[in-house]
Amino acid sequence: MTWTCDLIEARLSDYLEGLLDGPERAEFEAHANSCVDCAPLVASVRSLVGEMHSMEELETPPRLVYSILDKTLGPRETVTGWQGFLNVIRGLATPKFAYGGASVMATLVIILGASGFSLRKPKLADLRPAAIYQYADRGVHRVRARCVKYVSDLRVVYEIQSRLRQDENNLQTTPEQMLPKSSPEKNPGQTDEHKPSQPRQQNRANELSRQIEMLAAELPMLSERSIR
Amino acid sequence: MRRHTRRIFSICYRFTGNRTEAEDLSQDVFLRVYRTLGSYRSAHGGFATWATSVTRNLLIDHYRRTKRDRITDSLDDKMPVVENKESAGRRPDEQALLGELSAQVQSALTRLSPELREAVILRDLQQLEYAEIQTVLSVPEGTVKSRINRGRIELARILQQMGVRPA
Repeated sequence: MTWTCDLIEARLSDYLEGLLDGPERAEFEAHANSCVDCAPLVASVRSLVGEMHSMEELETPPRLVYSILDKTLGPRETVTGWQGFLNVIRGLATPKFAYGGASVMATLVIILGASGFSLRKPKLADLRPAAIYQYADRGVHRVRARCVKYVSDLRVVYEIQSRLRQDENNLQTTPEQMLPKSSPEKNPGQTDEHKPSQPRQQNRANELSRQIEMLAAELPMLSERSIR
Repeated sequence: MRRHTRRIFSICYRFTGNRTEAEDLSQDVFLRVYRTLGSYRSAHGGFATWATSVTRNLLIDHYRRTKRDRITDSLDDKMPVVENKESAGRRPDEQALLGELSAQVQSALTRLSPELREAVILRDLQQLEYAEIQTVLSVPEGTVKSRINRGRIELARILQQMGVRPA
């Protein structure tokens, strides 16, 4: 295509906005750069477009919005005194604002309660940072102690259960060993080592309670509790 | 509302070149929008596009009504305007409203024909897309591109006559 000055002028905006494809763009530039009329035209329009794009946005006159509102909605009367105050209250009495206000109040109550501030007997001293820290520190330690005690109690119960299970297994596997043994032969004048008042057949419950007592002695947590 | 007010005032001021007229026209635009809001349909484009279309129609009506006043302006067009630091006939507050360079561009804009002026304002000053301008002006896209191109070239020539050198 042969580019003429009229064609350059007609496609100038397409060139400036990058709408010409590669070969067209090259041909355009080849003519525009070499033509004494087209070169200054392209340069001036390019400069003008750049200036217009960088022009700052106009500042709206400050009273324009209010005059528009007056013209469309009608002039508004300035309300003062109690009427103005009641208008503000009426404006706040919307469900959205009520929900927001309730959420804020609930959050404040939770935070104040967590910080140790008593709502029944409020004291300004409770809001000191040191008091809040101490309350929080005590709370953390209290929770930690409860957790440790809970885990330890679980361990005790597990130990007891495992030993009971062990003993039951022993009972089942070797029942013949549980039969009372006849007293060993003894020669006259000779006594055996066992006390005749206590049979060799041991009471499994006594054995178990003895073991539980030993276990409780190992664990300080049970020292204050009585075994049921 | 402030965003729309700014946009509409900007279009009115760029088109008329007069701050008082732009304020009055902006109010008239919002009044018409307020009264004809029931006739707005999403098929007309977004609300901003529809409001721009109303603005454009009011500006053209205003231009035709005040055409007689501009006959004297056209006589001034034949006289070469020498570049000076302060634009002749521009109020100091309007000069402050614009920068010096944009004041010269604004002055040149008011010398364009209304069809070319509105196309250049919508494209280069309001940064609207071709499709949106097509909706606002209710002309084919080819006509939009042609008017923008001719408007830019004409504007550059007017600035050259005013003695404004390209940067």
